[in-house]
Amino acid sequence: MNRSLTILFGALALGAVIFTGSYFASQCACVMRSSNPNDKLAWLQAEFHLSDAEMTRIRTLHEGYEPQCEEMCAKVAAKKLELEAALGNGTNLTAEVKQKLVELGELRAECQAQMLQHFINVSRAMPPEQGKHYLAEMKKLTLGVHESMEASMSAPASHEHGMH
Amino acid sequence: MAGQIPPPGTKMKPEEKFSSLLRDSRSSPPLPPRFQENVWRRIENAADPAKTESWLDALAVLILRPRFAVATAAVLMFAGVLLGTHEGSQAARHDAQDRYVAYIAPNTLR
Repeated sequence: MNRSLTILFGALALGAVIFTGSYFASQCACVMRSSNPNDKLAWLQAEFHLSDAEMTRIRTLHEGYEPQCEEMCAKVAAKKLELEAALGNGTNLTAEVKQKLVELGELRAECQAQMLQHFINVSRAMPPEQGKHYLAEMKKLTLGVHESMEASMSAPASHEHGMH
Repeated sequence: MAGQIPPPGTKMKPEEKFSSLLRDSRSSPPLPPRFQENVWRRIENAADPAKTESWLDALAVLILRPRFAVATAAVLMFAGVLLGTHEGSQAARHDAQDRYVAYIAPNTLR
């Protein structure tokens, strides 16, 4: 009986080692083979099955958008610093702080509009079906963050209003 | 000839008479019920000792068969490779997507 149990547990342990070993080895091999950290647009080509010609057009669009994006990012970062300086150590919400918040919001909205325009341009460089899919995916990945946050904030609030 | 019953009318020696008396007085005890059946069962059990082993022992015997061991190891390895490849490609796809989104929409814009 003891011998049989030893054999059974030994076989189970060996089986677990074989399974987990092959699982992790193949997972690592797959990640290493598939990932190309230097090409930031690799996902686009793989996900939307784009041809080399389509990718060339999209690369040009991205190269044109990159400096605009960097400029807007720098403006947003500078505005955030201004807001922090206006906030200082005070505990009051001054008119200057409110003004900085409005300006930051405007800059972010401008940035988002520019980003959405870029997504639309990229989607037009793709075949129609892939373009539609790309636009939907990008909206979900970029604007969806705010939507989910707003939804999570509004859900308990509406519940509480219903209680009164 | 010892043990032979002399025909009637013949004279028996005294020791022969005594032997005959002893033979007649020896009674064989009655057999227990299902005696024959039990005897055959014991013979069968003695001929096939594996029949008395538990399922655990049977499983251990099966595990130790080289064919079974190799087949099980191959199936486990195949399942591991299949699942690992699937998970790996999902992880790689996710990483590539994150890289693209970080490049195109930095956190300040999202």
